Amino acid sequence: MKLRCERDSLLEALALAGRATSGRPVGPGALVGTRLGLTGDRLEVTGSDQDLTISTEVSVAGSGDGVVVAPGRLLTDIVRSLEPGAVVIQGDDDELHVSGGRSEFMLRVYRAGDFPQPPPPLGGSVKLVTAGLAEALRQVIRAASSENYRPVLTGVLMAAEAGGIRMVTTDSYRLAVKDLPGAHDVLREDQRVLVPSRALSELQRLLSGDAEAVEVHLGAHDVRFDVGQVRLIARLIEGEFPPYRQLIPFNYPNKLEIPRQSFLDAVQRVRLMAREPAAREAPTPLRVMLRSDTVQLSVITNEVGQAVEEVDAKYEGEEMTIAFNPQFLADGIEAVAGDEVLLEAQDPVKPVTLKSADRADYLYLLMPVKVV
Amino acid sequence: MSGRLVLHLDMDAFFASVEKNEDPSLAGRPVVVGGTGGRGVVASASYEARAYGVRSAMPAGQARRLCPQAVFLPPRFELYRRASARLHAVLHEVAPLVEGIGLDEAFLDVSAATTLFGPVGAIAARLHRRVAEELSLTCSVGGGPNKLVAKLASEAAKPRPSLGGPLPGPGTVIVAPEEVLGFLWPLPVGALWGVGPASRERLRKLGVATVGDLAALPEGSLVGALGKAAGKLLHELAWGRDERPVVADRAPKSIGHEETYPKDLGDRAELERRLAFMADQVAGRVRAAGMLARTVTVKLRYGDFTTLTRSHTFTAPIDSGPAFVAAAKPLLASLSLGEGARLLGVSASGLLERGHGPGEQLQFDLDAAPGRRPSPPGQGTSKGRAPTPCAGGSSPPSGGGPRWGEAMEAVDEVRARFGEGAVRPASATTGPRPVVPAAHGLARRRAQDGNRAKVPGGSTRGGSSGAGIISK
Repeated sequence: MKLRCERDSLLEALALAGRATSGRPVGPGALVGTRLGLTGDRLEVTGSDQDLTISTEVSVAGSGDGVVVAPGRLLTDIVRSLEPGAVVIQGDDDELHVSGGRSEFMLRVYRAGDFPQPPPPLGGSVKLVTAGLAEALRQVIRAASSENYRPVLTGVLMAAEAGGIRMVTTDSYRLAVKDLPGAHDVLREDQRVLVPSRALSELQRLLSGDAEAVEVHLGAHDVRFDVGQVRLIARLIEGEFPPYRQLIPFNYPNKLEIPRQSFLDAVQRVRLMAREPAAREAPTPLRVMLRSDTVQLSVITNEVGQAVEEVDAKYEGEEMTIAFNPQFLADGIEAVAGDEVLLEAQDPVKPVTLKSADRADYLYLLMPVKVV
Repeated sequence: MSGRLVLHLDMDAFFASVEKNEDPSLAGRPVVVGGTGGRGVVASASYEARAYGVRSAMPAGQARRLCPQAVFLPPRFELYRRASARLHAVLHEVAPLVEGIGLDEAFLDVSAATTLFGPVGAIAARLHRRVAEELSLTCSVGGGPNKLVAKLASEAAKPRPSLGGPLPGPGTVIVAPEEVLGFLWPLPVGALWGVGPASRERLRKLGVATVGDLAALPEGSLVGALGKAAGKLLHELAWGRDERPVVADRAPKSIGHEETYPKDLGDRAELERRLAFMADQVAGRVRAAGMLARTVTVKLRYGDFTTLTRSHTFTAPIDSGPAFVAAAKPLLASLSLGEGARLLGVSASGLLERGHGPGEQLQFDLDAAPGRRPSPPGQGTSKGRAPTPCAGGSSPPSGGGPRWGEAMEAVDEVRARFGEGAVRPASATTGPRPVVPAAHGLARRRAQDGNRAKVPGGSTRGGSSGAGIISK
């Protein structure tokens, strides 16, 4: 195969597809390749780590259809380093030649047959308007686990609920629940799927562009999202999401209403004293002291020092101090929409809820840190 | 450095004495630990055995010739490690600065402690008494102005073997600064550190037999005979000068276990069992060290020596066997086996001392049975309660915190009594897994663990060599 195209459009496609490749070898002589498939004047660029596949298309001047699998990261770095302008790529089963300006590279290629096979074609598709979806993803992905020792927790539960889609994530320290109205065509009644949060954060990145709609194809084991030229295919997570409803308390005796931005700013300032802990240390907790007309935030460390800040707020309930992982608290405040945050608490060792004071479509439940 | 006070504590025939405590029928009999296979060396010999000339590090065959009537026992290091942990607890209550050497020896800098506990002789006596009270074992304590003198003083405090039974030593010997030279100079020169057989031979040619002879030699002649570094060092030591500080023990950075296989092992199910077994062992050692771990790492080496590691760091630290096993398994699952594994290992790092962390991140109880809504609302969501029935025998723990606490204590107890192999995770065993119905709780589990404890079975499978790793 042989093709000629603009450096920038090729680079963009390679970088996008490369986001699906984990970049870490998964075995001896592992395959970390990017697949280039030329059909006429369309070049399809695909990256995959089997769980997640991203592919996109570039318009090129092509001659001779064909498929080549090349070392993805290296190819991307090469194309990025070339002079702006036209790039010529020529490849066969053994070599890939890349030239631009007066540079010429030859790369050994992988066996195209070793590249992960795309899943079989999926069933019918549903179009979703992206406006609410990107925001919903932003709100729930943060509470999904990045610890793959319990795979179901790395997923976003999507379930048909009350005429819309409910999205739920938990890493066992916090729980996020979001109701997205209207998107009920995607799932059957009572259908629940677990989509890897990693795939959805890629989707969120794509949606933050100017795409207005996303086409969703849901299969038995995979889900595909088409956004413009880009296709994102994720393998659904198998397993039962833990029963989350029972985690949400019925009622709370203590309620705090606080301006969202000043709460968030104060947390971000105070947590400077609890900087990212070294791997061997757990994060220093941020203490929230609840008083009738003010909230006092503090971080106290033996080594670095301490920070204290007060924020005006309305509080009804028993005076108490609750400690949190500062990152988890900031994540929750940031995720809540609206100007006022409602923080509801029972006692210092039970979960607190963060939600918008005037909207009921999002809830962030957070377990405190028990200070010893 | 004047005014320094260093103690050296050395347990008397440690492994053999621990064994005697375990089995009263060994009292008064010569006991040799190690060398049971006919090959190998003596790890520890009781004073009764030493009376026949048996010594540590002696080839086992020679020990059997010298004392055929001795009871030869295979070493049980886990038992000694536990005793050592109790010893260290005693040491730390007496001195702030403790430098452990192996399992049964330690230097203590008590320069600052003398005001707290009285004169140095009283501290040494107190150590001796506390070790006897806490471990029912005897030790020898030496004290002096530096490590050299303290070490030689503890030697002088030791019991003496004799065919009529061991002759008790003084137990504690303190050498005051003004007595140092009088104490050192009559000793044979081989008593000093760094004087091995080769140096001793060279010194003998110079007519040096005692430390006093050595001190009498000009430094220049010593340097000429032994080289600059060794000559200068020996000259200093002969004059009782030793500036080496007592360096406080650092907490280990990681605790690990790995196995090298005689043939590359490609059977994933078998590797998973080996992994579960090792992960559970590592968890036990993390608990024994009084710690929690945040990071679990799995290491896999292929036949071509390519080594891959995968690690996982938890927000909340873990210490239970099931949590380690649950963390390690997917790490192995994420690695291709290729042609097979030459080596497999698990380690724990990001170690935190229990109770010294900045707080405990609470977790949801995600494994609570569905529909069992907590009442009053929310109470069941924190996991700080007494053990709840396990929901389903196979579901992994949500974090390995207090829910497992009591079970882990029971496991540690059984292992302490019946050995490391007595309890192992179900996933480390072959054959069908025991099915634990959801309705049965922890009590049932503990009963099973107890039963399993009586099943004989080696802790390691034939053909593989395992190695514990604690790196600083």
